[in-house]
Amino acid sequence: MAECVKVCTQNFGKGAQDIEVYKKLGGYANISERLFNMSQFELIDYVQRSNLRGRGGAGFPTGMKWSFVPRNSGKPVYIVVNADEGEGGTFKDHFLMLEDPHRLIEGLIIAAWALGSRAAYIYCRGEFLPCIESINKALNQAYAAGYLGENIMGTKFCFDIFVHRGAGAYICGEETALINSLEGQKGQPRLKPPFPAVSGAWKSPTCVNNVETIMALPWILQHDPSEYAKMGTPRAGGTKVFCISGDVKNPGVYEAPLGTPMMTMINEYAGGVVGGKLKAVLPGGSSCAPLTAEEAAVATMDYECLASMKTMFGSGAMIVINDTHNMVDLLNCLGNFYSHESCGQCTPCREGTGLLHRMLNLIVEGKGHDGDVELMQSLCGGFGGVTICPLSISLGGPVSSYTAKFRADFDEYIAKNPDHAKPRVQETYRPGIFW
Amino acid sequence: MREHIQGAVQFVSNNRLKFDRPAQPIEALPDPGQTFGYVNKEVPQPSPKEVLAKLETPEIKERCADLLSRYPVGQGALLEVLWLVQGVFGWVPREGIRWAAKVCGCAPAHALGVATFYTMYNHAPKGKFLLQFCRNISCTIKGAPALIAHVEKSLNIKTGETTPDGLFTLLQVECLGSCGNGPMMLVNDDFATDVENDQLVMKPGTTLTEESIARILKWCYAHEDNVPKHDVLGGIVKGHGGHPGAPGATAKPQVADYAPPSPVLNVKAEADENGATLTWKGAPEFTKIVVEKKNGSKWDVVGEPGVKDKAFVDAAGKVGDVYRMIATSGERTAKPSNEAVTTQKPAPVEEAK
Repeated sequence: MAECVKVCTQNFGKGAQDIEVYKKLGGYANISERLFNMSQFELIDYVQRSNLRGRGGAGFPTGMKWSFVPRNSGKPVYIVVNADEGEGGTFKDHFLMLEDPHRLIEGLIIAAWALGSRAAYIYCRGEFLPCIESINKALNQAYAAGYLGENIMGTKFCFDIFVHRGAGAYICGEETALINSLEGQKGQPRLKPPFPAVSGAWKSPTCVNNVETIMALPWILQHDPSEYAKMGTPRAGGTKVFCISGDVKNPGVYEAPLGTPMMTMINEYAGGVVGGKLKAVLPGGSSCAPLTAEEAAVATMDYECLASMKTMFGSGAMIVINDTHNMVDLLNCLGNFYSHESCGQCTPCREGTGLLHRMLNLIVEGKGHDGDVELMQSLCGGFGGVTICPLSISLGGPVSSYTAKFRADFDEYIAKNPDHAKPRVQETYRPGIFW
Repeated sequence: MREHIQGAVQFVSNNRLKFDRPAQPIEALPDPGQTFGYVNKEVPQPSPKEVLAKLETPEIKERCADLLSRYPVGQGALLEVLWLVQGVFGWVPREGIRWAAKVCGCAPAHALGVATFYTMYNHAPKGKFLLQFCRNISCTIKGAPALIAHVEKSLNIKTGETTPDGLFTLLQVECLGSCGNGPMMLVNDDFATDVENDQLVMKPGTTLTEESIARILKWCYAHEDNVPKHDVLGGIVKGHGGHPGAPGATAKPQVADYAPPSPVLNVKAEADENGATLTWKGAPEFTKIVVEKKNGSKWDVVGEPGVKDKAFVDAAGKVGDVYRMIATSGERTAKPSNEAVTTQKPAPVEEAK
């Protein structure tokens, strides 16, 4: 394992929660004359040249996102940090906020300068109370040290950061749902357009960025953007914090350059597969299509390679599955999850995820019938493009890919039903008996 | 048509008046359990008097004022105020929701909708220790279902139930965001894989096992009488100035005399027989731009090019003159750009054909 430059995780385990330690480690060096003499356009150009792409899952270029924010609309510009990390297998933001909250604050000041923002909100999911405590402690220290509040470093620039505790809704990780939740409403996604960059929180321009994206900024500003771009692939620069979980020896958070081969991540960083042979890998969180062992052998962890293999890079959350598991059980977990977390706004998602969930439950309980798999596949075909947000596709995608790649597992479960060849009795589909 | 609209406006404003009616004595309020939303009859709701006595304390009032100052509209603080209610009671009684709505200035029905949308607000009292087990994909791979079955057996309750002594409530939840330590559980607000030095800990590389769960349950029994509590909002942040100009989202983003750095970059001036020609780079974000020329220690205004112009000619300019540009966007004027010293324009080189 080649030693790589640590961008976001360099202060892990060094006690950087305290501002003095963080400053000794080179923190807050960016909050200086150099930053405050830079114009917004220079800074945005700087980030664009670093090829930084959003780390939350969609991978949108950060500099471009910032350049969309209008500056003379007469309304304040809000920055919202998306710390509502709820995707199965993703836990990087949890440890980033717990170990290095000051880096998030420093990154936010840089982002605020680039966008001319006056106030930022950190939307942290409700379960992460230890993270919120860590951030609040850091905020108190930063206010006392004069990095936040009014007249930062004598520049007349004012900037405040507020932490908003969510209350347990996966869908609030979607940026428009997050904005709704910030406004004190139900976390249901909004139709786009208008995009949040133009009309977001309280109808003002709003920029929603992931925790890791913001935390990469101090390093980029300290070094050269070309140095950051050099570390990744031609179309996406830098390093990525990968979260490896599942059947590996050392699950955890590892930082590596984009484009690292998948098997290097599993064998060298995470210590290899345990409990059996490698069966499948989910490369980007629970909502992406799995790769079989053969595909994983040739895959590299970057946006382009995984897109070409018809899965996605997502948040870089690798879930490793060995051959002792039946994929139907795991898909049933996802069915539970997505049908529970559907916000109920769009009918295809609310009903469709529920129907898939009930069918998967029946198959797992040994009441599957021939033709169930085909029925599920046909249901998934109806999800694309008919809902406001991609939650239904997050279940539809896995269902169609699991059934295509691991059909034998499904047939094994369906064969457990002695009557599997008979047509299904209609009553079992009636929603009333489940709800 | 006009009458119809006027009638509608009248109707809305009439209702608005009713909604803003003066506070009634608590005794006059209807029983919340009977009137406000669907209420599980098995959950006894505390009386309004009891709820308000616990909520209307100076500390909570202070925290509510702090929370409300963070958002341009009061409704933004609704989630946080509901958290405060849950911090007091351990769950959100119906009257607490109504109180939160009043504090945030939104309709009680809206607050009820919000409180029932999010899963972390409890609508019935829970045990002293709320055990939440993750059942998502990573934890299932690492054996969460067997572990949950083990806990159900050792506590002799099913998921969703509370032990008869009121100590434990067991829940299965979706991803807790600690898949690397999976299977994972939350004990109230703490991630826990083990007990160390009489405290719950989650260390990297450790995971829940049947033995560590036994230790955690033992720890819970030992702390039965003084359950360690966290602040529901993770502590108070001091020093922030609140949301600028709350309420109202169209407040000015920065203080009036704050000048951002110049959006005009790389000003260059070159002189030839027609005078000095200025060129610059910049994003079209400004509404007015002024060219100034140095005259001793003062700066004289030379001209005002159009916002979309790419160049500006000062007929009187000559080599050695110093120029700068000042951009204005709306009511805010940026800092001056770099100072450009005029140089001689190089003669055009004719390419050999």
